[in-house]
Amino acid sequence: MEGLLFNVNNGYLEGIVRGYRNGLLTGANYTNMTQCENIDDLKLQLGPAYGDFLAALPPNPSTSSLAAKTTEKLVSEFRYVRANAVGSLAKFMDYLTYGYMIDNVALLITGTLHERDTRELLDRCHPLGWFETMPVLCVATNIEELYNSVLIETPLAPYFKGSLIHQDLDELNIEIVRNTLYKNYLEDFYRFVNSHPDMAGTPTSEVMSELLEFEADRRAINITLNSFGTELSKADRKKLYPSFGSLYPEGTLMLSRADDFEGVRLAVEGVADYKSFFEAAGLGGGPGGPGNMAGGTGSDGRSLEDMFYQKEMEIAKGTFTRQFTYAIVYSWVKLREQEIRNITWIAECIAQNQKERIGNYISVF
Amino acid sequence: MSGAGDREPVFPTRQSLGLMKAKLKGAETGHNLLKRKSEALTNPNTVPEITRRIDEAKRKMGRVMQIASLSLAEVTYAVGGNIGYQIQESAKSARFRVRAKQENVSGVLLPAFEAYQTEGNNDFAMTGLGKGGQQVQRCRETYARAVEALVELASLQTAFVILDEVIKVVNRRVNAIEHVIIPRTENTIKYINSELDELDREEFYRLKKVANKKQRDTAAADAEMKKKNAEREANGEKHKAPEVDDSTPADILQAEGDEDIIF
Amino acid sequence: MSAQTDFRDRQFLAVIGDEDSVTGLLLAGIGHVTPPPDNQKNFLVVDNKTDNAAIEAAFDKFSTERKDIAIILINQHVADRIRHRIDTYTAAFPTVLEIPSKDHPYDPEKDSVLRRIRRLFGE
Repeated sequence: MEGLLFNVNNGYLEGIVRGYRNGLLTGANYTNMTQCENIDDLKLQLGPAYGDFLAALPPNPSTSSLAAKTTEKLVSEFRYVRANAVGSLAKFMDYLTYGYMIDNVALLITGTLHERDTRELLDRCHPLGWFETMPVLCVATNIEELYNSVLIETPLAPYFKGSLIHQDLDELNIEIVRNTLYKNYLEDFYRFVNSHPDMAGTPTSEVMSELLEFEADRRAINITLNSFGTELSKADRKKLYPSFGSLYPEGTLMLSRADDFEGVRLAVEGVADYKSFFEAAGLGGGPGGPGNMAGGTGSDGRSLEDMFYQKEMEIAKGTFTRQFTYAIVYSWVKLREQEIRNITWIAECIAQNQKERIGNYISVF
Repeated sequence: MSGAGDREPVFPTRQSLGLMKAKLKGAETGHNLLKRKSEALTNPNTVPEITRRIDEAKRKMGRVMQIASLSLAEVTYAVGGNIGYQIQESAKSARFRVRAKQENVSGVLLPAFEAYQTEGNNDFAMTGLGKGGQQVQRCRETYARAVEALVELASLQTAFVILDEVIKVVNRRVNAIEHVIIPRTENTIKYINSELDELDREEFYRLKKVANKKQRDTAAADAEMKKKNAEREANGEKHKAPEVDDSTPADILQAEGDEDIIF
Repeated sequence: MSAQTDFRDRQFLAVIGDEDSVTGLLLAGIGHVTPPPDNQKNFLVVDNKTDNAAIEAAFDKFSTERKDIAIILINQHVADRIRHRIDTYTAAFPTVLEIPSKDHPYDPEKDSVLRRIRRLFGE
């Protein structure tokens, strides 16, 4: 049924995005890249995929400028797709950007809290999370003003409202603010793909649910693991877990009670994928806990984080086997981000002369 | 050289000669000691040891910092963004500090830094809460190790800077003693000696003159005496002295004249 | 050697460097901001926009004004920009240590202390 009308509005973009997906670097590309002796070689290897964007780089560019240029390509492609999107796809793509927007707003909050000139922070903001009214936020000189402008000027208002008041921005750690917003965002996005008439019951909601559930689980697990040894109380921690996902509600309840790595492992036992991750990570890290995973210097042991990324990429890759779905846009962005991370990582390994860990990139094609 | 050369402004007396000799001896002893100190500082095990360690540590540092940057790259990878700004803003109180202590090398007090971490203040515990927190913590450990290496290097370097200063001072002193004080003292001694010799010679000459005069006086007195005696004798026993004088020369002349004819 | 009298108060490290170096070192926990109203930081982030005068000012502040800094870490490529200041700096406290940065590998030939070592041994 959905196939009947999908292409009327979205056929062109689906084609474009699938084309972009075919432009992603493959395992063979990565193998070639790892053989490079210096960044210039790497640049040459990236030539076919990134040509124009890398042309402006000086010889032997820094890894950060390489990352910036590769991101630029993603951003320009994303903007092209967004500009051509209509209706619910446009809305869907806006939702995609909210995640980056949260990071940007968190950055501005940090700057305002410390009474810095937030205008210079605009350069540091993620371009995908850029919104037109963002410079307006820089006018705010204190946190209350900023809070009000965020409510008025940004699409993030619903995420603030109800869970954060302006005093919270002052008193709570910025990470808690960020994660609260992100939780609200994920829940909203989840609700959106499952309730919007264009998407409910289509492959989009099906695939996106899987992706978002995974994201929710990953965040819940990470927050739990990372909160050990910090002042974050269990009750506060519980508030940061998204209220959906394959772990919800039993898993998240157990997570909220977990005191150590073992507790987290027990909490996620119900989900086969995570169980195997934790078993692998447990073997690699020994009883020392999550902090020692991948052993600091150990090269072959993959960290939990790596395995999550791997899993995310596999789900994203799987998305392209479906048709008539917006989810491919989401997956394409995620795959592309991973590709940028891979390139940066490889460049970093080459620049720092640490070839033994160069293989830690994640390639699914 | 001797008189015109650089010397102490002293009167050339035997007392100052004694003083100068004592000074020279002192300078030589001091020179020996300082030379040994300088050698102790530069030669056997200290400075080359320190510099070698600095050199090594500096080279090692390159490696350590590379590993550390890679771990920061890992954080960027996992967090998926740059955390620099947030880190800069959330830094409040130093967890990693240094303490200075002293070490004695050949009588020179060298400071050494010792790194220590204060307990229980962690400005970045929450960083990367939702994503990449493990990498952040690991990166912190890696960088803490790197900073420890840097602190060690800094101690070595401070030690070197101070030691370098001390060595320079000691060497300057050794050189001053060797090239200025000792030659000058020696010059002074030489000068005093020569002055004293000169005085001696003058004295000797004077004495000789005195002696001569005395002799002459004596001779005159003798002659006077003789004359008086002769006069006395001439009055009494006049023939005695001329008899001896005339007979002997006459004998010799006669004998020689005979034998020459044969030859 | 009068410096020996005050070195006991020196307990912090200071850093002047590019963003990555500073971030890393701050992660290690060397960052310290003095209580208000001073709010003096012991670190300075240098990028292409930072002018040399600002670097020099920070260097002066860390090396002469502040008495609580034991070690100044400075990226070598930043040190190059104020090389004349680094080379003429001879005090033992605080120690100035040139460190490599991510994008600029370490070059022992430029290091002011290593050059002094070479000079000492006449190499």
